[in-house]
Amino acid sequence: MFTRLRSTLAAIIRRDRFEHEMAEELRFHMSAYSADLVRSGIPPEEAERRARLEFGAVESYREECRQARGLRAFDEIRQDIRYAVRQMVRAPGFAAAVVVSLALGIGANTAIFSLMNAVLFRTLPVGNPESLYFLAHRSGNTDSTTSSNYPLFERYKAVDAFSGVAAFSEYTFEVSTADGRERVDGQYVSGNYHAVLDVPIALGRGFSSESDRPSAQSAIAVISDDYWNRKFARNPNAIGRTLTIGGRVVTIVGVTEPGFHGLIPGWRLDITLPVALRVVDEPWFLGARDGWTSLTLVARLGPGTTEGQALAAADAVFRPFWMEPENAWARRDESTVGRSAALVPAGKGALDLRRRYAKPLGVLMAMVGVVLLIACANVANLLLARATVRAREVAIRLSIGAGRARLVRQFLTESLLYATAGGLLGILVSFASTGAVVSLFDTGEMPIRLDVEVDGRVLAFTIAVSMLAGIVFGVLPSFAATRVDLTRDLKEGAVVRHGRVAMGKALVVGQVAMCVLVIAIAGLLAQTLRNLRSFDAGFERDNILLFNLGTVGAAITPEQRTALYRELRSRLGGLPGVTAVAMSSRSPIDFSAQLRGIAVPGFQGKDEGASAYVVTPEYFPLFGIRVLRGRGFTEQDRAGSPAVALINERMARTYFGSSDPIGRTFRFLSEKELATIVGVVEEVRHEQLREAAPPTVYTVMGQPATGLDGTVEVLSNVTVEIRSRNDPRSLVAAVRNEVRALHPEATVWYARTMRQQLDAALIRERLLASLSTGFGLLALLLAFVGLYGVMSYRVARRGREIGVRMALGATRGLVLRQIVRETMKLAAVGIAFGLAAALAATSVVSSFLFGLSPHDPAMFAAVVAMLMVTALVAGFFPARRAASIDPMRALRAE
Amino acid sequence: MTKVTELLPGTLDMLILKAVSLRPLHGYGVLLRIAQISGDALQIPQGSLYPALYRLERDGLIQAEWGESDNNRKAKFYTITPSGRRRLKEDAASWDRLVAAIAAAMSATPSEI
Repeated sequence: MFTRLRSTLAAIIRRDRFEHEMAEELRFHMSAYSADLVRSGIPPEEAERRARLEFGAVESYREECRQARGLRAFDEIRQDIRYAVRQMVRAPGFAAAVVVSLALGIGANTAIFSLMNAVLFRTLPVGNPESLYFLAHRSGNTDSTTSSNYPLFERYKAVDAFSGVAAFSEYTFEVSTADGRERVDGQYVSGNYHAVLDVPIALGRGFSSESDRPSAQSAIAVISDDYWNRKFARNPNAIGRTLTIGGRVVTIVGVTEPGFHGLIPGWRLDITLPVALRVVDEPWFLGARDGWTSLTLVARLGPGTTEGQALAAADAVFRPFWMEPENAWARRDESTVGRSAALVPAGKGALDLRRRYAKPLGVLMAMVGVVLLIACANVANLLLARATVRAREVAIRLSIGAGRARLVRQFLTESLLYATAGGLLGILVSFASTGAVVSLFDTGEMPIRLDVEVDGRVLAFTIAVSMLAGIVFGVLPSFAATRVDLTRDLKEGAVVRHGRVAMGKALVVGQVAMCVLVIAIAGLLAQTLRNLRSFDAGFERDNILLFNLGTVGAAITPEQRTALYRELRSRLGGLPGVTAVAMSSRSPIDFSAQLRGIAVPGFQGKDEGASAYVVTPEYFPLFGIRVLRGRGFTEQDRAGSPAVALINERMARTYFGSSDPIGRTFRFLSEKELATIVGVVEEVRHEQLREAAPPTVYTVMGQPATGLDGTVEVLSNVTVEIRSRNDPRSLVAAVRNEVRALHPEATVWYARTMRQQLDAALIRERLLASLSTGFGLLALLLAFVGLYGVMSYRVARRGREIGVRMALGATRGLVLRQIVRETMKLAAVGIAFGLAAALAATSVVSSFLFGLSPHDPAMFAAVVAMLMVTALVAGFFPARRAASIDPMRALRAE
Repeated sequence: MTKVTELLPGTLDMLILKAVSLRPLHGYGVLLRIAQISGDALQIPQGSLYPALYRLERDGLIQAEWGESDNNRKAKFYTITPSGRRRLKEDAASWDRLVAAIAAAMSATPSEI
């Protein structure tokens, strides 16, 4: 096999030499033979003639020799390609139409696939990623990977089934720079993180401490390749340099390899600090058991340990831990009673992003696949039309002895050439479009940063899709094109072949049907986004500016902080156009979650905990949240006055049933004092737009909470809300100035409008809506081109027939109507099939929808109307052309 | 004049291998050698020799080299390769079996049935 290939290759590469030597060899044969003949007494001329004669047909033997050397197939392919290129050049408009349709289809597919690749398929660039597992716990079908704390981590560390367990939690650091502070995303990790994960280090070293207690060696940092590039221009002497983070000086000890972005896909990991450094500020961290501290635990299974053994070992640690009295707060929910340990494969990083985007990306991939099919149908139709034009050429070639297989292969070569050109251009299209898609993710306070790149897998996908497309749209036309009737097609102006027209029509019907499917889904998704953006979630979303204010690490007492906040509120209130200023621990739909355990004296039922907010009195009027009973907060609710709280209706129902909650008390499990409920506010969807509010308690910012150990804490990170008569974004610069003037170490970050904050929470919905709308428009355009093309072609081919009919008295109006009717009929059949398919398929996206059913009648009516109008327009132009045929000219042309 | 026999299909390759196994030959020499060893009984259409040679060369059963012919002209000489020798042995063996089997079949008499 190998020798064959080599000999063929050698002949291809040194083709001239091959031909020359063959000629030489045959010449030698003939002259040797003729010399022998001369020797036997035949005159030279006669000998030469006989030598040639007896040798036989030289040219045909030569061809056989070439074939024996495997050159013939190569020659034919080369011929086919040359011929196909000539065809393309001869009809540049046609070629451009084909290549552009394909490029759009293939480009869109490549873009979505490279997104899928980045989100779903890529494995972490760490040593043996397949032996890494997140240590989670499970209730029902939900795995919780971030619900853990340091004491649980310590228990897991002692398990023999694991060769190591590391912990990390994402964190946003404030890094001092020459001009103020900058927020940089990163993580706190246990001292063994780099060793357990086998993180690839490009420069310097990773952390190597087994203990997470603060020590003199704790003030160190590892930075990412990207950060090293941005801040140190890849200078190797970055090792040993220092960064000032939250007022503390840390020394850089290492730089990770370029591909490493941590275990949370989408999180930009720039700075990694040891958790020991966090313990310096928050000494309670190592021992805290009254809540989850957002630690993610990741274990590496010991050599030879199976997943089952590891799970059993983890469960043996987790179950007793879970049932300890210190975890009573976590067991409040009925559904969490039967909790067990779970192992979640970590080789591709955390699941969250993949879980959130697997299905949306699947839907988009399917849609874009259908769009490509529509494009293929278009190309097939164009090729079919051309096949008819070329019927005569094909007939001639067949009649002079070309094999049908050879001609089919030739047409296929042409298709594959188009597909290759489409694929190449498609890669460019995907390059141009992935940037836009990636930036769609990169918004809000929790942007998703994706490393979308064209790697081997993406390239392989594009090549496969292009070739598949080439074959799909090439096979039918090539068979149709070579099925000619010699006697008929050799005559000029042959009649249209029936089979071919039927095939063209079927393709258009299919196109319209697929188009209905794509547009229906796009419409539903786009309407969902509109619904989510406009429905009444219970809080105002217009003309509100939000920003975060941080005073972490600043040398400041709780009293000073309270005074600072009050002063800032009054200064901001004085800015032009501002009508209200509030502060809160969290704001609606801001990705934060704070579910706290509470104790309600006299309450017998199951403690569900409550979502907790700390707010200033203006918070409710600013967001338009109504106080339904009792009173709101006032400035008189301050430190020293009786502790008060507001609850939402859900909370009132859950904990107090039909009795009046006003005047009743409760206590946060982690706090000492009881607070008195002074009012009930309406429910607002401040956690999730799609879900009703959980039981919620609001406490007032002026009354700092006193912990069980007696420490008083005032929030060091707050969200400030400003309501303005003018465009709220115009206030940002003034806000920054006020804050800087007030305190040099206070930082302002993530200034955004309430609408922007909502949009940031709707990344998935926006992704689906915008991409599917784009695909829908593309599908519609392609279907329009398909309809238009087929009808134009019909009109052109039937020119004579129409001429005859007009000569016999058919009016222009009649001809026009007839062509339009024919188009509409085609479209109607396609729409009918499409509706059936869409009604079945849209239930797949029902979980993404909001405010409408997957069979929303108005939406489907709109889709039908849209396609009917498209068909009408697509049919009208060919119809007008048909109606303007001059009967005399059409008849004379014969 | 001897009676000329048509070649059985598939036997040309074997004959070529046999011819070049004795000593390196150019194409015309192969033709002469086959005629010689078959006592002029086998006639090969001259031109059809070359596609067969090219095929055998491509399959690595023979190999070609340019050299000088007896009358000092440049000619392409074919030599048998080790795998060509193996093939020749197999072909010859199966040819013998075939001939023996057919001879036995053809010499059958009514009494043997």
